[in-house]
Amino acid sequence: MAGTAVAPAKVRVRKTSALRGHRSRIALVNAVPVTVFLLVMFVYPIIGVLSLSLKGDSGAFTLHWYADALSGANLSVLVSTVRISAETAAASLLVGFVLAHAIARMRPVFAALAMLIVVVPHFISALVRTYGWIIMLGEHGLINSLATSVHAPGAPYSLLYNETGVVIGTTSVMLPYTVLVLQGVMRGVDGRLLAAAAGFGASRFTIFRRIYLPLVAPGIGTAGLLSFILCLGYYITPALMGGDRQTVVAALIDQQVMQQDRWNSAAAFGVILLLLTFAGLGVLGLARWRRGKAHARRSGS
Amino acid sequence: MMELPATRAGHVGRGLSATAILLFLAMPIVIILVTSFGADGIGTFPPKQYSTHWYQQMAAPGGNWATSIALSSLVAALTTVFSLILGATAATALARGRLPLHAAVYGLVLAPMLIPQVVIALGLFLFFEPVGMLGSPLAIALGHTVLAAPIAILIMISTLKGIDERLEDAAASMGAGRMTIARRITFPLATPGLIAAAVFSFITSFDEFFIAQFMSTPDTRTLPVLVFNALQFDVDPTVTAVSAVLIALAILALALVAVVRKLGGHRNGQNVLPVEPLT
Repeated sequence: MAGTAVAPAKVRVRKTSALRGHRSRIALVNAVPVTVFLLVMFVYPIIGVLSLSLKGDSGAFTLHWYADALSGANLSVLVSTVRISAETAAASLLVGFVLAHAIARMRPVFAALAMLIVVVPHFISALVRTYGWIIMLGEHGLINSLATSVHAPGAPYSLLYNETGVVIGTTSVMLPYTVLVLQGVMRGVDGRLLAAAAGFGASRFTIFRRIYLPLVAPGIGTAGLLSFILCLGYYITPALMGGDRQTVVAALIDQQVMQQDRWNSAAAFGVILLLLTFAGLGVLGLARWRRGKAHARRSGS
Repeated sequence: MMELPATRAGHVGRGLSATAILLFLAMPIVIILVTSFGADGIGTFPPKQYSTHWYQQMAAPGGNWATSIALSSLVAALTTVFSLILGATAATALARGRLPLHAAVYGLVLAPMLIPQVVIALGLFLFFEPVGMLGSPLAIALGHTVLAAPIAILIMISTLKGIDERLEDAAASMGAGRMTIARRITFPLATPGLIAAAVFSFITSFDEFFIAQFMSTPDTRTLPVLVFNALQFDVDPTVTAVSAVLIALAILALALVAVVRKLGGHRNGQNVLPVEPLT
């Protein structure tokens, strides 16, 4: 992109330098609407959440709501949220890796078809997909009818209103993200490196562990953290497919606002979710920065 | 690409696991579509008898479902208009000009895709509650635009970057004014991207739950809010028909975008998930 833009610019130096000042002025004007809109409708309301979480009933500064959020039953909700998010990240990473790896080696027609099946559900309401799982995982649902009809040991299984059900549901919601990230990284792996290792007598397992995994590791990190972050604030599936032990922070915020009028407490939980998200994004950014530095060092010497 | 030769076992193993995972993704959707035509509502699969009863129930004029479908459509239409305005201007700034503070503006645009939506929803609730605008379609649409505009902007940035700037330079060198260039060159070339941005904005709003839930009142509930309540509290089999309609809508929207892009001569693979900027 940059290459094509620079070449003709050299030919008409006088005109483009005038044009450049003009262009950055136009760009500035065009950037105004979205900046103003997001500052008013996105940044300001979140600052409102932050300030409400630090206000007592009389309006004075207090950390009471955080102390409340981090103790007793509330703390266990926080722990379940992190646990369910971690389980979902692990599951969608594992399943996503297997699928992305298979897609990377499929013939183009099948790969395109598979990607279609991965991407299309992402655009279908998560509520609807969760409902599909409720129908399927119920005591007389498809999975249990199949399991009982083949006399699987222990059938029917209880797959709904517990953590198994929640993780199955959230994993299917996060899977498109992990597959897309991993697929992007796997496509970039140079097959000649693997072939070269094989040429030196490395076993398939060694090639996978020593060559392939390190090459796709950045994608694994990104995919895992991304699904973890997205899962933190997501409560459709936990609320509909979970039991009491699967109450997550976001569902609690909903309850406190919609049913209990406990806005300050809800705001404190919101800020905690925000901090967890920033922590995840921070790890992501740090890993990228270190990769960039290592890359610069290698290409510099 | 050169590859390791595939072993037969590896080939079969990969095929089977991929099929199982793809079924895992597709089955909940297929189940809904089939069940929605079952006469007995929720329960047995496959249904013993088929009927369109639940679809009639959903469309019954004056009913909860019809009212919320109308509200959701209005909100989604407003959101689409707002997102296109913000999208066209922001994408021009980010893709074309040499924008000062480019990284800061780009970061601000991406942020709503990564911040927990429930926090955005809570913030908007606190923002609109004191001014008595909860339940207002305009307020819900403004809230939805926070989520839809970034998607529209990303699509339009990639559209604008795909247009050869030299075409605009050539028109300028032949004396075309800026408005003429925008109208005669940039706009026609960007139309597929504009349509894609419009479709994705609409569907983002139509399917959005968190903001709509926090800003709903007993009289104004969008379709997803009503679906959530139906699934959480009362078991109304009409919800299967509603779900099937939402599935059909999403598939139609994606098909429309694919057709428009094909006609526009674009290659597939445009990314509308916030995945690309992160990797």
